[in-house]
Amino acid sequence: MDWGKVKFFLGEVGRNFTRNAGMQATAIGTVAVTVVLLGLFLFVRLTLAGVGDRLLKQIEISVYFHTSATTAQENHLRDVLRADRRVASFTFVPKAEGLKQLRRQTQGSIDVSILTQNPLPDKFRVRVTDPSEVAAVADSLRGQPGVANVVYGKTIVGRLLQLGVVLRRISIVLIVALLFVASIIISNTIRLTVFARRREIAIMQLVGATATYVRMPFVCEGVLHGLVGSLVALAILGIGKAALWSKLALALPWLELNSAHVALAPIAFQLLAVGVAIGALSSWFSIGRYLRT
Amino acid sequence: MISIRNVSLTYPNGVRALDNVTLEIAKGDFLFLVGSSGTGKSSLLKLLYRDAIPTHGEIVVDGIRVDKLRGARVASLRRHLGVIFQDFKLLNDKTVWENVAFAMHVTGAHTREIERQVPRTLDLVGLAHKSRMFPSELSGGEQQRTAIARAIVNNPKLLLCDEPTGNLDPENTAEIMDLLLRINTKGTTVVVATHNQSVVDRMRKRVVRLEDGRIFTDEERGFYYLGLGQGQVLSG
Repeated sequence: MDWGKVKFFLGEVGRNFTRNAGMQATAIGTVAVTVVLLGLFLFVRLTLAGVGDRLLKQIEISVYFHTSATTAQENHLRDVLRADRRVASFTFVPKAEGLKQLRRQTQGSIDVSILTQNPLPDKFRVRVTDPSEVAAVADSLRGQPGVANVVYGKTIVGRLLQLGVVLRRISIVLIVALLFVASIIISNTIRLTVFARRREIAIMQLVGATATYVRMPFVCEGVLHGLVGSLVALAILGIGKAALWSKLALALPWLELNSAHVALAPIAFQLLAVGVAIGALSSWFSIGRYLRT
Repeated sequence: MISIRNVSLTYPNGVRALDNVTLEIAKGDFLFLVGSSGTGKSSLLKLLYRDAIPTHGEIVVDGIRVDKLRGARVASLRRHLGVIFQDFKLLNDKTVWENVAFAMHVTGAHTREIERQVPRTLDLVGLAHKSRMFPSELSGGEQQRTAIARAIVNNPKLLLCDEPTGNLDPENTAEIMDLLLRINTKGTTVVVATHNQSVVDRMRKRVVRLEDGRIFTDEERGFYYLGLGQGQVLSG
């Protein structure tokens, strides 16, 4: 290992990095703003997705039997449910239990003790693993022997699922747009620093530096922009979350904003990676036009 | 060393810089390229260090078809030849030492090798005592000597000089030419494009005159003007 070479290379990067403070600040600031927006967006998206998921998880399919249904038919359905991989859990509610529950739910408003016999059928309550499968599972249960009716919150499931799809599409478009705009701004900033050094680049090539050799210090500079910018952004996001999030959750209680399920470390890591990638790639492409080959 | 065969060069803007030029330069030669501005001297040099590609013809430098080189091979070619210019082309934020060392760093030379070779080269050009200075703190002659040190630090077989004394006073001009001569006597082929008549006439080396992109004359031990010393031209 030739430490002299490493020292020389780091010296080049350091020299370039400290030479034009204004330009460096602009590049770092652009990365920071982009990453803050991206982070905010990812966090809100995950939180909202969490709200939607929670609502969807509460969706239950109720499978009602005919009053004439036999125990064999009920056991058959139990086997079907057990074999179905889409089913997360199910409980059998016999009609006596159903009546008890009804009594509890209607206590004080309707007096069910006037019933001389139990009008309720036996039923299964079914939960599925993936909310988008609710409709399919419900349909497959509808044709089973002894089953009278299959009920679930069809409209609300449909709407929630649709909302999820729309949310996902919008977020992809927004993220792509955000990254695109940020890359353009950062490339332009770096292009200015490269432009200021075009004479130097020409001389480097004149004495026999390869394109890669000329590029490397610039790309490292871009990586530094990305790294510092993302760290600044993460600090801003962290402070912002600590200061504002709990207040927001209190102000909008109906949204049931709960970000406990949002894993922050992976997001932070992703943001860091995105910042570094933006910095490195924009440098790589900005310098390309000044390399004569 | 250099073989230029039927080379023409037309720039993208339509300007014809060279027109069917054929020229052989032997190893260890010292050659002046003369002619008025815009006759193709610089273009010819550019072809040799592959800063331009001929429209027609072929160029061989030290056994390499220069006109066919691309990418990293161009970089490799330039490490094996030195180029100096009228405007020195030094890196202004690097010291004399760093400017010279830079040409070695680029080749991937080992630090120990750099630390041995750079002082030796600075000694040769007489700048050992100014190695920590920046180009802006040097005279024109000293800057050109720094550029020469950078050009020869990798021991090139060929040194190309494009108007090396264009910005220098007569005293510095003489020093630079002496230096080039010394480098030449060590075995490096030297090609100097110039329109400094007194330099050419004093040194009596091979002189190739270009006119309108063609070779007009080619004379061993020549003068700036064919067969004429400086005094004769002035009186004529």
